[in-house]
Amino acid sequence: MSSDSTTSSTSTDDPANGNPDPNPNHSIEDQLASTSLTDHGDQRTPSNQENRNGVDYASASEGSAGSDQREIENSVEQVPAEVAEEEVRRSSDAAGGLTEVEEELNKGGSGRRSVVWMRTNSEVEVDGPSSPSSSGYAGERGSSASSGGASGIDEVVEDEIQEARNDSVDAVLDSQASWVPGKRHVDEDDASISWRKRKKHFFILSHSGKPIYSRYGDEHKLAGFSATLQAIISFVENGGDRVKLVRAGKHQVVFLVKGPIYLVCISCTEEPFESLRGQLELIYGQMILILTKSVNRCFEKNPKFDMTPLLGGTDVVFSSLIHSFSWNPATFLHAYTCLPLAYAIRQAAGAVLQDVADSGVLFAILMCKHKVVSLVGAQKASLHPDDMLLLANFVMSSESFRTSESFSPICLPRYNPMAFLYAYVHYFDVDTYLMLLTTSSDAFYHLKDCRIRIEMVLLKSNVLSEIQRSLVDGGMRVEDLPIDLLPRSGTFPHLGQHRLPTDSPETFRELPVGVGGPAGLWHFIYRSIFLDQYVSSEFSAPISSPKQQKRLYRAYQKLYASMHDRGIGPHKTQFRRDENYVLLCWVTQDFELYAAFDPLADKALAIKTCNRVCQWVKDVENEIFLLGASPFSW
Amino acid sequence: MGCSSSLPDRSSGRLVGTNSENGGAPDAKNIRVKLVLLGDSGVGKSCIVLRFVRGQFDPTSKVTVGASFLSQTIALQDSTTVKFEIWDTAGQERYAALAPLYYRGAAVAVVVYDITSPDSFAKAQYWVKELQKHGSPDIIMALVGNKADLHEKREVSVQDGIECAEKNGMFFIETSAKTADNINQLFEEIAKRLPRPTTS
Repeated sequence: MSSDSTTSSTSTDDPANGNPDPNPNHSIEDQLASTSLTDHGDQRTPSNQENRNGVDYASASEGSAGSDQREIENSVEQVPAEVAEEEVRRSSDAAGGLTEVEEELNKGGSGRRSVVWMRTNSEVEVDGPSSPSSSGYAGERGSSASSGGASGIDEVVEDEIQEARNDSVDAVLDSQASWVPGKRHVDEDDASISWRKRKKHFFILSHSGKPIYSRYGDEHKLAGFSATLQAIISFVENGGDRVKLVRAGKHQVVFLVKGPIYLVCISCTEEPFESLRGQLELIYGQMILILTKSVNRCFEKNPKFDMTPLLGGTDVVFSSLIHSFSWNPATFLHAYTCLPLAYAIRQAAGAVLQDVADSGVLFAILMCKHKVVSLVGAQKASLHPDDMLLLANFVMSSESFRTSESFSPICLPRYNPMAFLYAYVHYFDVDTYLMLLTTSSDAFYHLKDCRIRIEMVLLKSNVLSEIQRSLVDGGMRVEDLPIDLLPRSGTFPHLGQHRLPTDSPETFRELPVGVGGPAGLWHFIYRSIFLDQYVSSEFSAPISSPKQQKRLYRAYQKLYASMHDRGIGPHKTQFRRDENYVLLCWVTQDFELYAAFDPLADKALAIKTCNRVCQWVKDVENEIFLLGASPFSW
Repeated sequence: MGCSSSLPDRSSGRLVGTNSENGGAPDAKNIRVKLVLLGDSGVGKSCIVLRFVRGQFDPTSKVTVGASFLSQTIALQDSTTVKFEIWDTAGQERYAALAPLYYRGAAVAVVVYDITSPDSFAKAQYWVKELQKHGSPDIIMALVGNKADLHEKREVSVQDGIECAEKNGMFFIETSAKTADNINQLFEEIAKRLPRPTTS
């Protein structure tokens, strides 16, 4: 594959090549080709290689070209395990495919043994460093690992299939379309079978074991369960250690201790440990946003302090955040995204926000749903993308902000976790809202005047109507990916211009409309490291249902975690094929690109397409990113 | 500044676009007054305000965050107009410490409880004490028993309400934001009690 380009490759990993230009002036072909070369040439043991093939052939019978299946070429060690896990879960999602999958897995017996082993290995790797010998945990886990012999394997796999079967039922209920804000299943507790079957639990509790928040069920009824979680945490702490992760069969129990506040996730969604821990961090941040970290003082005064009344009425904020873990890539990319707008329109919005910021407002943020229209910060003030995510989630999930203008204390955990800021919030229309943050508690009337001024300018310069238009038009579509790579000389390309004529010569049209972009490109996310922003393509036909979208995000999330794994990473490129997608990830010091292709996509073509995507993003960056005076820290 | 009246779905309750604090000179015929609503969460403070300002009632409960600001102008029979600038505060415990932010400088405080909830009545008494300690000395206070339509679930008697109000020099009224019963009367009654600025 594409070895022709290898010869001329100047390695992009060269640190001397450190220009902050987001433009991919180096080719991904080179990188991938060279990685695949080294991959083949490295010191992998024959048995390892065999295992890989075993796994791959299990999926090969899904009906794709067999030889291509070996292309799970990257340096992530546990990839075969992950791929196999995905196979079980994914393919059984399709109704009726269950028995087939089981058969295939039984065929690939030897491969599967290694699958289980590798999972166990990675487990040890994850919490190995922090809990070497104490507390009996390592021992227990070790024994379960060593018992993972031939007899245990079938059980595990069957369990997963069982789970997957439940998955598809639950997934329908959980899908974005049917998501209702607020807490569900309040009547449940830890004795309910339905409660035990929930795929993903989140708990917040105090260090004395008092429940503070539970995703499902009534916190007060879960006092006993909370006490158990607390007991586990303090048992390990008494041994001078910390518990991070416990695996029990298909469940992961992830712990996060933040002073007197304990957070726990119990999940059988097979998301990576790092992702789940990141989600707990966000939940903690959301709590800080509502209460500030000074809530810790309540526990200093009274260790048995009951915190639930302090969070009264905020269930909807947490449930909306937890829901966003499955649809909002910002939750794992730690970047924000902008509403696509013509450069001049965004400039007009930015200019009036800047005026306001100069008059003593700390941050002025104009948003449409979870996307930024423009934002401005006072000098030296910087706003972290995670804070933006939490703030937007808080505002959007609290219905009362829509009724009238509000003035409310909020805390930005990454800005200053100890102090409240005051947020003036006003909705201009159903989707578009303005947030003005200040340190002064009596600035309301000033901020109200600012809003009136901003509103006049936004109306006069048509910003609000352009926002509505952008919502309807959407952003980048893979179908519109330009084929021509030399448009930079003449006219400047615009985001919408490829869309209008159906048979424009500029775009690929070999593929029928509605099956994605050129070379089987289904979707991509481009994250600019320099800007702390990402752009995600609109979902096109093959990935249209919320369930499929959630699945793709989970796959990206896994990819992100494997690329950023501190133990074995960071990595530069990854190409992975399973029966759902070809996933291609490319990380440079300027950007990260995550792309999903048809599982039958040709590798060389996919790589070329990724280069085109990067070029395309560069060409329209004026419209999809907020450029210039960004108040973000980098 | 006529622009705020041309806003989509925001215009109904706004009579005047100018809202700057030092807007007009004191005028005997046009009074502006800052009013704050206090009370336990879920007693219907926001519902009272929305009924008064927009004539709407939304049975789905929307928890107020921090405080919402709304204004409404009413005309009295003596041809004076009173513009209420209303702070509808959140009833949640976490905002209790921040209440002074909203009642500071308020000329009127409306303390609301739910006639079906003795707890909320106790909380109302807490707010009355708080206002007596930290509010403006000449603040006008009203005690409001809301959800009067739920009389079959009543747990706080009218008599208790009256006694509490008299003891604290407040005026008392029972309202129903759901049926609009006594809502306008509440604000008219407040308007009548406002001190008129002496024309000089």
